[in-house]
Amino acid sequence: MPHDDLDGIVERMLDGSEHSRRQFIRHLAAAGLLVGPGSAFLAACGGVKGESSGKKASAVAHHPKVPIGNWTFSNWPLYIDKSVLKSFDKKYGGHVKYVEDINDNFEFFGKIRQQLQAGKPIGRDMIVVTDYLAGRLVRDGFVEAIDKSNVPNFKNLVPNLQTINYDPKRNFSLPWQSGATGIGVNTAKVKRKITSIKDLFDPAFKGRVSFLSEPYDSAGLVLLMQGIDPTHATLDQINKAIDKIAEAQKSGQIRRFTGNDYSTDLTKGNLWIAVAYSGDLVQLQADNPHLEFVYPEEGAMLFTDNMMLPQKSQHPYAAETMMNYVYDPQVAAKIAAYVNYISPVQGVKEILLKNQPKLANNPLIFPPPDIVKKLHPYPSLSSADEREMEARMAQVTGA
Amino acid sequence: MLRLSLRRRRQLLPYLFLGPGLVWLVVFFLIPILNQSYVSLESGNADIGYSFSWNWSVYSDAVSSYHTQFTRSLIYAGAATVIDLIIAFPLAYFIAFKAGRLRNFMLLLIVLPFFTSYLVRTVSWQLILSDNGWVVDRLRDVGLVSSNGRLLATSTAVIAGIAYNFLPFMALPLYVSLEKIDRRLIEAATDLYASRATAFRKVTLPLALPGVFAGSLLTFIPAVGDYINALLLGTPNQYMIGNVIQSKFLNILDYPSAAALSFMLMGVILIGIAIYARLLGTRSLTEAAAA
Amino acid sequence: MKRTDRARTWALGIWSTAALLYLFIPIFIVVLFSFNNNKGRFNFTWHGFTWRHWAHPFSNPDLATALKNSLEIAAISTVIATALGTFMALALVRYGFRGRGATDMFVFLPLATPEVVLGAALLALFLTLNVNTGFVTIVIAHVMFNISYVVVTVKARLEGMDQYIEEAAMDLGAGVWATFWRVTLPVIAPGVASAALLAAALSVDDYVITSFNAGQTLTFPLFIFGATRQGVPPEVNVLATGLLFVVLILLALNVVVQRARGRREAAVAAVPAVVGAPANA
Repeated sequence: MPHDDLDGIVERMLDGSEHSRRQFIRHLAAAGLLVGPGSAFLAACGGVKGESSGKKASAVAHHPKVPIGNWTFSNWPLYIDKSVLKSFDKKYGGHVKYVEDINDNFEFFGKIRQQLQAGKPIGRDMIVVTDYLAGRLVRDGFVEAIDKSNVPNFKNLVPNLQTINYDPKRNFSLPWQSGATGIGVNTAKVKRKITSIKDLFDPAFKGRVSFLSEPYDSAGLVLLMQGIDPTHATLDQINKAIDKIAEAQKSGQIRRFTGNDYSTDLTKGNLWIAVAYSGDLVQLQADNPHLEFVYPEEGAMLFTDNMMLPQKSQHPYAAETMMNYVYDPQVAAKIAAYVNYISPVQGVKEILLKNQPKLANNPLIFPPPDIVKKLHPYPSLSSADEREMEARMAQVTGA
Repeated sequence: MLRLSLRRRRQLLPYLFLGPGLVWLVVFFLIPILNQSYVSLESGNADIGYSFSWNWSVYSDAVSSYHTQFTRSLIYAGAATVIDLIIAFPLAYFIAFKAGRLRNFMLLLIVLPFFTSYLVRTVSWQLILSDNGWVVDRLRDVGLVSSNGRLLATSTAVIAGIAYNFLPFMALPLYVSLEKIDRRLIEAATDLYASRATAFRKVTLPLALPGVFAGSLLTFIPAVGDYINALLLGTPNQYMIGNVIQSKFLNILDYPSAAALSFMLMGVILIGIAIYARLLGTRSLTEAAAA
Repeated sequence: MKRTDRARTWALGIWSTAALLYLFIPIFIVVLFSFNNNKGRFNFTWHGFTWRHWAHPFSNPDLATALKNSLEIAAISTVIATALGTFMALALVRYGFRGRGATDMFVFLPLATPEVVLGAALLALFLTLNVNTGFVTIVIAHVMFNISYVVVTVKARLEGMDQYIEEAAMDLGAGVWATFWRVTLPVIAPGVASAALLAAALSVDDYVITSFNAGQTLTFPLFIFGATRQGVPPEVNVLATGLLFVVLILLALNVVVQRARGRREAAVAAVPAVVGAPANA
């Protein structure tokens, strides 16, 4: 994480394939870095220049059918109904090692970056990452193409996600779940109807508002408020949006910047109105029925977490079989019922209507078409622009 | 084993005792940290990689950009340490001198909360100090909180959280040094017509100083680097240097800057320790002279 | 004199009880909410009393594994750290040797280092040495930061203590080991015990350093941190409460055992008097 080839070495360890020490030193020597056994450590940790390989990964893949075997699937916590994994193993054989070690996109990238830049496998056969990290991985050629012949259920992908700015033909990514970033409201505290992003800046709510610390979400909403299409915004426009947020923070309008942890404050009424994720609100509403999720009239941000095959994935066929499996509407329905985010698979609503009508009719999980039209994916920025945006936001959020 | 002379054995002993622990620390602490100093002088970013470049400007940038958070961390940690000293000293005194058979039980009670997760405890405080919770309402009744004020998302909450989480670090060393004070010394003092207060001031307190020293350090130092309390109980206006370092390491992936900030933090702490040690040492000297 | 003395004792007692209660306020909340009949995945609002979480505390297999890992790691790292640290403390206080001041300072350094730096730096080491991060690396990390805590705590106990009893013992012919076991150790035992307890608690509770060096091993704090993003399940509250009770019971047992041993030893010592022979040391 903190270092050039550190993460690389970690991942090599994790993937279990034995790279001997000799091999490692040979690599170092090849890179001209080996000075002596004692200083191998220092040299290794200092001088390796990482590279974004600059090459585009080939968009065509052929992964022949092989026994599933033992493979590794990395995902976010609480993002799957575990019985799906069991039934997958039963149906296809083999054993999936399911690891919930993705808690934050940048943190995760920090873990695997070195390995990726050294062209090594990362010890995982499939990962689930949010759009902006997915975009970066595609841009830098760190992912394998998906052999669509192994994923016939690909046709079940909902129309509005069939293309995305960083992967127009969906050669490298397949949505896992989507979600909307909108406004969470504690109606016990807020008596009037909340409809607009402007409400976040209403002085009546001073000190009772929170924004997400992720600028893709927060600046995105501000851009929508300003009438700018966030998916195609320039860095300059984004920076101005961040400045507006900075203003609100200085004046005390914004109480906190949060990750998912607005949940306590919103439930308890410490926050009255928060930039929030749709999936959280579904669960929070069960705990406190006064909470409401609002799709602002200007529109909302749509984020999607995507299944991808990291470079040198050792079991691509197994991963693709899983992709195909979760795109079966029956399986997708099960996952949607547990996770409560927006399913990217068609036909799920109809299935849930039969035995879980309340979920099926929940607009947070199945937004109606007029809302879907106003959901905007994140912009696809270059790595340099993204870094600048994150650094600027970090100044505002105080870290 | 050779029959070494008593004297020889005694000479070797400290090294024998010191050895294993020292080796562990050198391998698993010193070497990695030295490596980090190397990192701090690198330049680059996550996309193009990092390379060593004697980039000393990273340190001056760190100071100019984050001196607010640095100062704030020192103040918060200092306040929390003082609060902890005030709370823990009578507690430790009671356990050491008055608790008798309840002694071990009470010590255990001090450490017990640690066996629940730090995060769970801090989130619980979020619930307790909620703006419309019982606690804050009572404080409003009493006037300690203004009618539209709040306790959460303020410096008070952050300092209180830090003080809370590090209280055992102050209490245990205090207890340890108080407990070993020979009661007969205090008896002797009172036999010589000293009042209880004087006996306390001139006998107990100086003998407890090592514990005060250890406790203060064990509390202050991790408190300065803490970030969870500021994150959950505060606003960006309360963020400490730990939050900055955390963010730079994990989100921005700006390792040189993060490493530089870490070293500055360590440096500040070490200077503080040296000053504190000097102060305490001087005080006990002057007291001995005055007696 | 006696009345003010008693008043003082009472005042101290009340203060101490208040301080302990204060320490336990959030714990009460944690325990309370383990009985919450929560709706949905979050556990913030009270919905009524239920036993169901206690009925199936290990229903989440990941949580159970995480807790088991944490306990094992704590046990192992505490033993190692306490041993290493105690000996270091002895060396630093009892003996003058070259470089003592420097070593003193050195031992402090891990305490002065932010956890983020410790964790990241250690990970760097493991990576270069091609070491798999996981259970073992977590133990190594925990021992590393616990040694300093142990040294500081035991030193506080040792400083100012009568150091001549050991010399006296050795002058009377006791070997090094014998001196240590029968003279030094019993005297510093309270300090060592406190240090061990502190080390165990720190190990169970550690998040930052562990998160860097855990690989794919889950510990209790790591699980909780991951879970807070989507709602901490009440099972966490149940296990946390359970853990508290287990520790309480273990220590209560220890007190009982000590008392029984004390009684037995007193009885044994009394035998010679009963028999009429001069009591031997």
